[in-house]
Amino acid sequence: MGILSWIVYIPFITAVFVVFTPAPKWYLIRWISTVGTGIHLILTAVLTWKYWQVASPDFSSMKTATLTKLYLVERFPWFESWGIDYYLGVDGISVSMIILTSIVIFTGVMASWHVKNRTKEFYVLLLVLVTGVFGVFVSFDIFLFFVFYELAVLPMYLLIGIWGTGPKEYSAMKLTIMLMAGSALILIGFLALYNGAGGQTFDLLELSKVDYPKSFQIWVFPLIFVGFGILGALYPFHTWSPDGHASAPTAVSMLHAGVLMKLGGYGALRMGIYVLPEGAKYWALFFMALTTINIIYGAFGAVMQKDLKYFTAYSSVSHCGFVLFGLVTLNLIGMKGAVIQMFSHGIMTALFFSLIGMVYGRTHTRIIDDMGGLAKIMPWFTTCFYVGGLASLGLPGLSGFVAESHVFLAGFFGNPWHDLGIMRFLTILATMSIVVTAVYVLRGLAKVFQGPIKNPEFAKLTDADITERISTGVLVFTMAAVGMLPWYLIDLIESSLMPFVNRLH
Amino acid sequence: MLMLPELIVIAAGFIILLLDLFLAEEKKNILGTLAFAGLLIALGRTLFSFGQQGELFGGRFVVDSVAIWFKIIFLLAGMTTVALSWDRLTGKTTDIASRMKHRGEFYTILLFSTAGMMYLISSRDLVTLYISLELSTIPLFVLVAWDRDNPLCGEAGLKYVILGALSSAVLLYGLGILYGLSGSTDLATISQKITHSPALWLSVAMITAGIGFKLTLVPFHMWAADVYQGAPTPVTAHLSVASKAAGMAFIFLLFYRVLGGAFQEWNILFAVLATITMTLGNLVAIIQQNIKRFMAFSAISQAGYLIMGFLGPFPEGLPSMLFYLYAYIFTNLVVFAVIIFYANETGRENIDDYRGLSRTNPIIAGAMMLGLFSLAGIPPLSGFVGKFFLFSVASKAGFHWLVGVAAINSTISLYYYLRIVRQMYIEPTMEDATTLQISPMLAGTIAITTLGAVFFGIIPFFYETINQTVAASDWWSVITATAR
Repeated sequence: MGILSWIVYIPFITAVFVVFTPAPKWYLIRWISTVGTGIHLILTAVLTWKYWQVASPDFSSMKTATLTKLYLVERFPWFESWGIDYYLGVDGISVSMIILTSIVIFTGVMASWHVKNRTKEFYVLLLVLVTGVFGVFVSFDIFLFFVFYELAVLPMYLLIGIWGTGPKEYSAMKLTIMLMAGSALILIGFLALYNGAGGQTFDLLELSKVDYPKSFQIWVFPLIFVGFGILGALYPFHTWSPDGHASAPTAVSMLHAGVLMKLGGYGALRMGIYVLPEGAKYWALFFMALTTINIIYGAFGAVMQKDLKYFTAYSSVSHCGFVLFGLVTLNLIGMKGAVIQMFSHGIMTALFFSLIGMVYGRTHTRIIDDMGGLAKIMPWFTTCFYVGGLASLGLPGLSGFVAESHVFLAGFFGNPWHDLGIMRFLTILATMSIVVTAVYVLRGLAKVFQGPIKNPEFAKLTDADITERISTGVLVFTMAAVGMLPWYLIDLIESSLMPFVNRLH
Repeated sequence: MLMLPELIVIAAGFIILLLDLFLAEEKKNILGTLAFAGLLIALGRTLFSFGQQGELFGGRFVVDSVAIWFKIIFLLAGMTTVALSWDRLTGKTTDIASRMKHRGEFYTILLFSTAGMMYLISSRDLVTLYISLELSTIPLFVLVAWDRDNPLCGEAGLKYVILGALSSAVLLYGLGILYGLSGSTDLATISQKITHSPALWLSVAMITAGIGFKLTLVPFHMWAADVYQGAPTPVTAHLSVASKAAGMAFIFLLFYRVLGGAFQEWNILFAVLATITMTLGNLVAIIQQNIKRFMAFSAISQAGYLIMGFLGPFPEGLPSMLFYLYAYIFTNLVVFAVIIFYANETGRENIDDYRGLSRTNPIIAGAMMLGLFSLAGIPPLSGFVGKFFLFSVASKAGFHWLVGVAAINSTISLYYYLRIVRQMYIEPTMEDATTLQISPMLAGTIAITTLGAVFFGIIPFFYETINQTVAASDWWSVITATAR
């Protein structure tokens, strides 16, 4: 097994260890999970270093490439007669997403330190889910990709259904069914790609060399883009997201909003725009309009929320809109912005959900109006919340600014195939959302943390303990690091994005 | 020697029938062992005959690799049914009402039905085809009505007999027209002689209707829910697996071997049938409360997926269909084994009754969940891989819309399979819930079938073996030779 297989299967192996741990020893289970994800984090650092070693000599030659170059490839035949391979590889985008996921799952395990109800099942499902996520990011065989994709979506049902709060069964079912409907669309698209290319191979890079006729691309592209868009909270298919995120337990919200929604953007980029460039050009403006609605609708939705989790969930819809918006600008800056936004939003929203979970664990309420003055009691949480909130409204120096500025610039630059006036108009509309974001973030934070302590009961509460400090600290640090030193991340992804753009020309 | 597996099964049936007369009641446990052993020996003999092709009786009985794969399914289904009915026939169940009597006759009839199915796939002649179909069906009428004191069971038997006889008559009429058109009962001769005429399509329609009954294709599915609910659960499991596989064998023989050349004219019929079958099966399953009725509609929708393998005679069509059939029987038997286990211990058969099972029997609940997910087509379980291949066949045949319908249907099916998962995992336990004891027979069955449901899809060996061996049969050359 090469390093990529280890990256995928370490969470699964950890899950197997957890399965064989007796259920009453919940403290042991969480330690096993912490160690497993900790090892994974170290391995991710090794992977990044290794990738840098092998890939950086090629960075300059990628400027004119039209085909993604893969590194650290592992490949052997699986179902030979169908042309299905076990085919793993990475490029810069995959590596950045693996780093994101590894950080989020590590902090997620820390943040669920206090799950005492059926701890064993909780960690098993969480780790299986994240196995699927890692698998998606490294698979370059579309059958294998699909296997991991569904594996990443389904455990969510039980995670929300068992450990969730509020109308959890309803939310879990709604989320699962909508996402599975999305993967049904993807399945049609994948099979059309396979058979349209002569039915010989499921190798993504081979399929991308095929010159599909334009009429074919025009009907397949929206299937794939919408299919992944459902997971990326594309308007009007975002409705699962607020309910799902609000009902889910802390670590699951973190993982879902932080990482799983990124699978949508990643898939739309990798499977949609990369394989079907003509289709992407045909539909880009239409989807740009939809994502503009996403951005604005999400922001206004967040203004109206009274529950902190719904508040963050709607803000997620808005921020995930930036990801898809950046992708459909179809230029290099936009795609860069989109990938940075995936990373930035992943960290940011994981921070938000973990903080909300921790605060809720103390106050037992998530209603914004019931809280107030928490800054005096919980200075650590307050600081973290403010850093996250400021990143969310795009303050320079934090990761959100880097991403959003790229996306807006891209929209303004436009591309050769679409009317510049319309693109700029949509971009201006989307940019306005920043104002709305500032309104809801600052007002929400002020209500929760500032002013007098509303409920005298709260005065007895404590600030963050050590595991909570580690998990939130790691996230805040990452966010600031990306904001201050964005060029490391940009270098990592830029050369890998070149083929995506070159193919369009 | 080609017919040895069938002869072993029939011989075992007769031996059991005779021994049943002489053995004292407390010694009758040996009958079950004997039935199981007979099927096992026949299975071993069948497995050993791979690579041997040949014919008997002037080409009316042919053994080739396709036939062998089907026979393995029938034998496996028979063996599992023996295992599943073990506790009920030996009176070891906690729930007294679910015990069954007359085990000697039960095994004999089961073995005869299995033999009929095995003859069916080897037949190359309309007469033997029809006779072996009847030999497989008529014993099932008896098995369905086994528990004669139970009014539901009697009703199920009556419905099954009447509708079964009707469908047989329609089928026979269709076969008769086919004979009239070609002047021969030999399948190969018919395939060369038939010409396109309204009479041919009338015959095709009647054959489809007749066999649609066995396969529970909509609109010939009416009997399924009542019969599945009323019949003793091991018999229901057998019906949902073996009877369905026999139907697939029959369709394969008629539509590939006889009409394979004209597939472009009948595949739209199958696309439409698949669409309405899976859609109706899935939609009605949503509102079911009784788990056996629920599984009936689930089985109906699975039949819709299965016939997608017939949409185009591509070399991968038949192996995909066979592979899904294997995935389906293993998966379906997991679920039925758990249903039987639960009914044996508690006598309960409603979906709500399963609440909290993950707390009392976590391993069994886990197996059930895997089975349900495999039925819903969740990767990496075998049900997903099988469905993926079948969908790919439909996509290759140009039926992209059907892939869409089928994929959306899979999503709907996930909704109702999750209903059971929800009961087992999310809902609180019942007040009187305790950990239930499972008998070794059922535990073994659940273990083996679960392993099959999980590993068939992950390890490529099974599919590749089916694919390679099936290529050795002459089915593909028959189609290409008669293609117009």
